[in-house]
Order: sequence, then C-alpha cells, then structure tokens
Amino acid sequence: MKRTSAIVVVTLTTTALALSSCGRDSGAATAATQGKTVSDGKATGSITVWAMGAEGEKLPELAKEFEAANPGVKVNVTAIPWDAAHDKFTTAITANQTPDVAMVGTTWMGEFAGLGALDATPPAIKKDAYFPGAWGTTEVGGTSYGVPWYVETRLVYYRTDLAEKAGITSPPTDWAGLKSMAKAMQDKAGAKWGIGLQAGGTGSWQSVMPFAWSNGAELTKDGGKAYNFNTPEMLEAVKYYQSYFTDGISDKAAPATPTTEPDFVSGKVPMFISGPWEMSAVEKVGGAGFKDKYGVMKMPVKKTSSSFVGGSDLAVFKNTKNRDSAWKFVEWLSKPDVQVKWYKLSTDLPSVKSAWDDPALQQDKKLAEFGKQLETAKAPPSFPTWEQVITSFDTEMEKVTKTGADPAAALKTVQSQAESIGTGQ
Amino acid sequence: MITKRKGHLWLYAVLTVAVVAVIAPFVWMVLGSFKSEGELRQVPPTWLPESASLDNYRQLFSRLDFTTYFTNSIIVAVVVVAGNLLFCSMLGYALALLEFPGKRPLFAVVMATLMIPGVVTFVPLFVLVANAGLINSLPGLILPFLVTPFGVFLMRQFFLGLPRDLLDAGRVDGAGELRIFAQIFLPLAGPALATLGILTFLGSWNNFLWPLVVAQTEDHYTLPVALALYSVGQNSTQYGLLLAGSTVVLAPVLLVFLIFQRRFIEGIATTGIK
Amino acid sequence: MTATTTRRAASQGAEPPPRRPARKSGLREGRAAWLLALPFSLLFLTFTLWPVVQSLFMSFTDTRSRDLRTPFAVAFVGLDNFTRAFGDAKFLTSAGNTAYFVLVGVPLTLTMALAAALALDKGITKFRSVFRLGFYTPVITSIVAVAVVWRFLLQPDYGLFNTVLGWFGIDGPNWLGDPNWSMPALIMLASWRNFGTGMIIFLAGLQSVPWSLHEAAAIDGANALQRFRHITLPLLRPTLLFVSVTTAIGYLQFFEEPFVMTRGGPLDSTLSMSMYTYQQFGFGNYGYAAAMSYIIFVVIAVVTALQFRLLRENT
Repeated sequence: MKRTSAIVVVTLTTTALALSSCGRDSGAATAATQGKTVSDGKATGSITVWAMGAEGEKLPELAKEFEAANPGVKVNVTAIPWDAAHDKFTTAITANQTPDVAMVGTTWMGEFAGLGALDATPPAIKKDAYFPGAWGTTEVGGTSYGVPWYVETRLVYYRTDLAEKAGITSPPTDWAGLKSMAKAMQDKAGAKWGIGLQAGGTGSWQSVMPFAWSNGAELTKDGGKAYNFNTPEMLEAVKYYQSYFTDGISDKAAPATPTTEPDFVSGKVPMFISGPWEMSAVEKVGGAGFKDKYGVMKMPVKKTSSSFVGGSDLAVFKNTKNRDSAWKFVEWLSKPDVQVKWYKLSTDLPSVKSAWDDPALQQDKKLAEFGKQLETAKAPPSFPTWEQVITSFDTEMEKVTKTGADPAAALKTVQSQAESIGTGQ
Repeated sequence: MITKRKGHLWLYAVLTVAVVAVIAPFVWMVLGSFKSEGELRQVPPTWLPESASLDNYRQLFSRLDFTTYFTNSIIVAVVVVAGNLLFCSMLGYALALLEFPGKRPLFAVVMATLMIPGVVTFVPLFVLVANAGLINSLPGLILPFLVTPFGVFLMRQFFLGLPRDLLDAGRVDGAGELRIFAQIFLPLAGPALATLGILTFLGSWNNFLWPLVVAQTEDHYTLPVALALYSVGQNSTQYGLLLAGSTVVLAPVLLVFLIFQRRFIEGIATTGIK
Repeated sequence: MTATTTRRAASQGAEPPPRRPARKSGLREGRAAWLLALPFSLLFLTFTLWPVVQSLFMSFTDTRSRDLRTPFAVAFVGLDNFTRAFGDAKFLTSAGNTAYFVLVGVPLTLTMALAAALALDKGITKFRSVFRLGFYTPVITSIVAVAVVWRFLLQPDYGLFNTVLGWFGIDGPNWLGDPNWSMPALIMLASWRNFGTGMIIFLAGLQSVPWSLHEAAAIDGANALQRFRHITLPLLRPTLLFVSVTTAIGYLQFFEEPFVMTRGGPLDSTLSMSMYTYQQFGFGNYGYAAAMSYIIFVVIAVVTALQFRLLRENT
C-alpha cells in the first residue's frame, strides 16, 4: 500500500504544478522553420527506434550494419504492432515518453508535428533525392519534420488473359478507355463485375482521389491554408467514379470484407486498384503460374496520370537526448544502397529516386511500373485534422456510390464540414 | 424424486445441435491455423485444410521470444486474478452483509465507474502511471487492474444470495467479524470466485491496448501485444499467423476454464449440505 | 412448509433492509467493514476514480490532443460539448442504433444464457462439463477469428445462414451489405458471443439454490414451471440483476462487433455511440469525446437504476 500513497502524493503535486498555469495561450503562430544542423563525425551513444509490424521485426538486422560502421553506437529497435500504434504514439507524446527515432505513418505527420513532438529536418538532408509526393508528406506548415522511408502507390491491376478475351490488346491510357475495358470484361470475358472499386466507407478516398488528382484537383486553397473539396475537377472525378456504380460495372453492395484476391483469381472481378502488396497476395491465392496472368498499369489520364502515395516516414522526436546520432541513423537509412538493401530485406519500395536505378528494382516489369507512377503520385495535405475530415468524405462517397446521391451536394457537404473542423494548424 | 433420470433425450439433442452451432467458428479457427495463406483466402472457404502444415506455428515460434512474453502474461494475469479475488470479495462481502457509514455512497461510486466507457479514462490513467515512474514495469501493467468495480458488483450480488443466518450464527458463536468472512462466507463463495477468476483471467490475458502502451521495450510485452506484431500489417493481414497466434493464446485460457469449472461442481457439494 | 422456506429464500434474494446496527457490535461491524473495504478503496481511488475526475473535467473544456501536456491550460466551454452532441446528426444516429441493439440484444442474450444454464444445471446429468465448455468457447475465441468466420456465415450467396434459409424457400438478405439487415446480423453475433458469460454466472448463482427445496415443492405437486417461478427465480434474483445490469452496460458500450464486421456501415447503420466516441478520441477531440462518454454514462446510469428498481420490487 505504501506505493499507492506515494503515487497519490506524486499525482497531487503534479496537478498543483499544472494548475498554476491555467488558461489557454493565444494560438502560437506556426512559421516555417529550418532544422538545426547535425555535427560531423560518427554516431555515438545509444538510440531507441520504434518501428511497426514487419519493419520493426526486420530493422534490427539492418541496424547492425549501422552499428558496424559507427563503432560505439547502439541501436535499440522496439517493434510495435500496427494495431493501435497510433494510440501508443499519442499517449507517449502526452507523457513525454517518446523514442529518439520512429517510423511514422505518412498521414500522422501533421498531427504529431502539430503536437510539437517532432524535430525539424536538418538542412543537410536534401529534398530532391526523394519522390516529390513522398517528401510532401513530411512537410507541415512549410517545415519538414523527417524523411520518407519507403513508399507505395496505387495502380490498376488487370487480368491479361481475360483482357485478351475481351478484345483489349493494349492497356487503356485514358478514362474512357478504362471504362470501356471494364465493360468489355463484363460483356465478353464473363466477369460478374468489370472492376472492383470501393463503394465508399473507410479509406475509400484512396480510390477516389487518384481520379481527382489525375483531373488536376487540388485539395488545398489559399496558399495551402484551407481545405478545398468543392471544385469542378473533384466533381467531374466523383461523377466519373459514380458512373461505374450506376452503370452496373462495379458492385455497390460488395461484402464488408473485400474478397479481392479470390475474385481476381476466379475472374469474377478481373480488375481493381491497389498497392504493391497485392502482387504477392494474388500470387499466393492464384498459385504457380498466376504471375503471368495479370498485369498492372498506371492510372488512366484525364489531364495527367496521378495516383496516391503512401508509405511511412522516419522522424526524430524533439525530446531526444541523442539528436545528432538519431539524424545520422535517418540519413544512413536514406542512402540509395541502404534503401536497396532494405528493399531486398523487406520488399518495401525505396523512397529515394536513385535507388530505383538498381537492377533489383528494374528487372521486375510490374515493380518498375510502380516506380514510374511514383514520379507523379500525390499525397494529401498534412493537416492535423486530415483523418477527421476525410472520414466525412468517405461517408459522403458511400452515399454517392450506394444510393446514387448527387455528387455536387456531397462535395458541398464535405467542404462545409471541412471548414467547420478547420485545418487544425 | 423429480423426473431427473428419464434422461431427457430431446434435451440432449437440442443441446448437441446448439453446441455444434456455437463452437463451429472455434473449430474453424483451429483448423485454419494449419492452412496456407492462399487457402485461407479462397472463396468459398474450406473446412478441412487441403494440405495441413505446421508452417504458421513454426514461423510464430521461431520469430518470437515466446518464454518472455508468456512469463509476463502469466505473472500479470495471476497477480491480477489474485488481487481481484481477494479485494473484491472483501468489499463485496462488506457491501452485502455489513452495515457501515458510507456504505451506500461507496457502492454508488463503484457502480458509477462501472458505467463509464474505458476509453475516456485511458489517457489520464497513462499520464498518472507515467508520472509515477511505472512505465515499462510489471507494476505498471498490474496495478491499474488489481481491483475492478465489476468484481465488487459480482461478489456483492453473490453474497446477497447467501443466507444471513450464517452471519448471526457466527456472531452468536463469538467469532470475530473478519473470521466470519474468511472462515464461513469465503468457503461458500467457491462458484462465484471461480466465475470471477475465469472472467478476470480472460480479461487480463487478452488485454491489448494497455500493455502495448505501457511496455516500452519488447521484454515487457505480453502475448497479445507480441502476436499482434506479426499478424497485422499496414495494408494486409496474415490470417494464418493470426489464427495460429489466437489458438496459442487460447490454450491457457481453456486450461484455466477447465480448472476453475471444477470449482462449480465443488460448489454443489458445499451448498448441498444446507 | 414449502411456502415458508420459499418466502425465506425470497427475502434472502432481495437486498436486506437497512438494519439499525445493534448498540455495541455496530461499531465493531463498521470497523471490520472498512478494514475489508480499505485495500480496494485505495487502489480504486488512485487508478480509477482520479482518471475519471480528470476526464470529467475535460468534458467541460475544449481540450484537444495537443493540450494534453498542459491539461489545465485549456478554456472552459461549459456545456458546449454536450449541447453540440445533441445537435450532431451522426451522434443521434448512433444513439438510435445503440438503442436498437440494446433493446433487442439484451433480452435475447439473457434468455439464451438462462436457458443454457438451467438446462446444464438441472436438465441433464451427463456431459455437463462438455456442454459448458462448448457454450463458453465463443467468449474466449479471438474476435479476429470470429469476424472471419461470421462474415463467411453471413455471405449472401453461399453463406450458411442463407443456405439454411433456402431450404425453407426463403431468399436470405445480403446481411452485412444491406442497411436494414446489418444490425440484426450484429445482434445475433453479439448474443452468440456473450451468452456464455451470462451462463456461467447463472450457473454460479444456481449452485446456491438448494436441491431440497425443489424436491419438497415437487412432493407438494408443483410442476417444473411453477418451481422455476417460485423457487429458482426468487433465489436467482441477485444474479439475474447482476447479469442483466452488466450485459446492458456492455451492450450500451458496444463497439467490437461493428468495429471488426462493418466499421459502422453500411451507411452508418451499425455506428454505435461508443464507436463514434472512439473516432472522436482518435481525431484528438478529447473534450468533445469525453462529453459524449458522459452522455453514454448518464444513459447507462438511468437504465441501471431502472433495472435495480424492476428486479427488486417485482417478486
């Protein structure tokens, strides 16, 4: 019981201390800042690194090489489950229990930087080395808070054998072409649904936005200071997306769990839009030889061909006691040869452009296609409220696809909700 | 004699059908843990594995420091169960059978906290534990769960169902209040303690979010945290590993259930005396 | 004879009337009671009540996640968060969904739990522990496996449910894809998952119903239904109250089922209050989310008070 009363005392003291500073500060202006420089020389001391899932499991192997190159440094990697990783970060930030370096989901950057938890990127790290869309995920209010570690983007998957049956010999490049291909899959190749598109709901923005970006839509206005959903470009893209459902090409009542892989293999849904991880997933279900039965193609062009870029960033926390070594580790992970090594270890796609010149990434034709799409792929704005705003977008898209709601009204609703929530910066 | 020996064949039939329906997902889970990733994604799904293999288990065990996570989980669960059984039955008894100043408000507050969604107190609790320097320690994992309002409510309701006469009889015999609790009432509480033990063990054993947040290094992870590491990806789930992991986590729970459910039968013996 | 025993049993079942403590022993009784209450109270005060007080404070402020490091440097907004919730269409939808879930789910779960407990306690003599274990497996089966299997069972084309319905010439619905059927599907799932817990608590309660009472009543010519109503039910009342209160509390906070099965869809038809609150926490709107949690709390408190009243007075 002694321990308990000690805790009570501690808590009461901290409360008293906190109470003495009551009242909200006037909103601190967020001006773009430049990170401090990092000293030369080798990394020393110990650094703690948090990484999620498979990355957390495989990073120690790579970190050993860093330790070998920098005698006297110790890298402690803690692997964290993806499930609830976000909760772990926010509570850790609240209680000042952050690591030195962490892998951070791209859509969390705005939130964590907004909490004042991240250290600004030092000037020695050059943004040109990375894919521009991926670099954009590290920038919050004009300041960069880390580097992209690995990336992913979305392409159109299609069954080459069924496409041939449907009379499609070369993959389409524009919106009209994509739609007629999906229709032909239904009419001539026996597919139940032409293409699998998500009918609204959680994460559906990742399927809708590539069309909007390809149509030149911008999600921010007023110099990147406000949300911008209600534009003619967005409207045209949403209407196009909706037409797949109204024309019966895509299933508006798809099951709650996607059965993407088996439906793709059986030919029930011979096209869909997704990221690089689906390659191994469909090949596992399809079995030997399935590798040659499908292909991937870039997003069809309206004005450009622009997809969604995801992945994870590496960030250094402000609280770190070993800032120089932390950034040195991040810099080292961004070296092209280390990025290639990491690809071989984890199959995570490199965020550094020059790493893609490596034959390991060029030989696989499908993989190279992802590399090409990454050049123009875009990321959503890194506002701290993004996740909240996009939830209302997902809800409205569900109404548009499932009940045939008016796209213009839906976008108007999203915009007004986004404005009332604000950017949070 | 009540028509007990007739054997109620129809009841057995109904129960058998019900049990089969109820455990089907469980059986599927165990069978699924022997299937390949490809087979698990087939439509329609299969019941029996096409080619059963131990691959999922092999991966699980080779990639995890199993002993550490298992030990952590066991220590936390055992201490939490012990704490709940002891402290909750103490208060539950006092609330059910004794009169004392502040009884009603105390019960009201305990009941009130039972109704507050846990998510709302999560962050303040974490800050408290962090300020106390208990992050990344076993006490940090244990202390917040050592007593639960649920346990008090359960024990109080159970003690209310026991005859008050026992209390008065004990007093007439000149036994002290604490002795009456420990030697007369507690032994009768077998079935309720068994129930509380099972439910608390299950809750502690499967607890995920708290250990994840409190453990800063992997040597303080518990089983569910460690298993989540290898089964849920950012964009794809490895169902095989997930099912194998769930099966492994489940085994001790089944064992605990089998041990504690014997207490139910003993309960018949004790109450049968009356 | 039977009548008197039954009445005594019934009075045990209900809460004891507040007794005036006998002169001298009252003090001793009080001291012993507080001694018994002390360990719990200390732990409870620190790890439960204190965070509760803090979160309650939060619900009257505009706390967002960025304020948590300086929890008292926030602005008081009075009841704004609460009034905002009642004007929030999505919150109201979730409240309606939760009411639907509780009103249908709680009675269903209780009936299933009690039926299983009675059958296992007195109905059969063999394989009791096998059945008990069987009925308890849904409680301990991981929610992930549950989700995978149930989605398969509920598939519109080849799922088990619709296959069985097909035998009777019924064209089963698209359970999880149709906003009208998604909630019934989740209610079935929740009852299936939770009746095992109620069952073992009922079993524990039934242990204290002496078999001799049943035998005596049977000799007096009472049939099984009468014995259940006049012997089992009164003695079981504290347990019944416990199970119905905890089930209702759990169901009013229901979260896991829609979280793994439908994510609140389709078209928000399975979005629960807890799930919406959880979302707001995720977005960092701590003040607003805390306020919604306390709205849920008030609803639960009212429902619980009602249950205490109903189950205590209705003999």
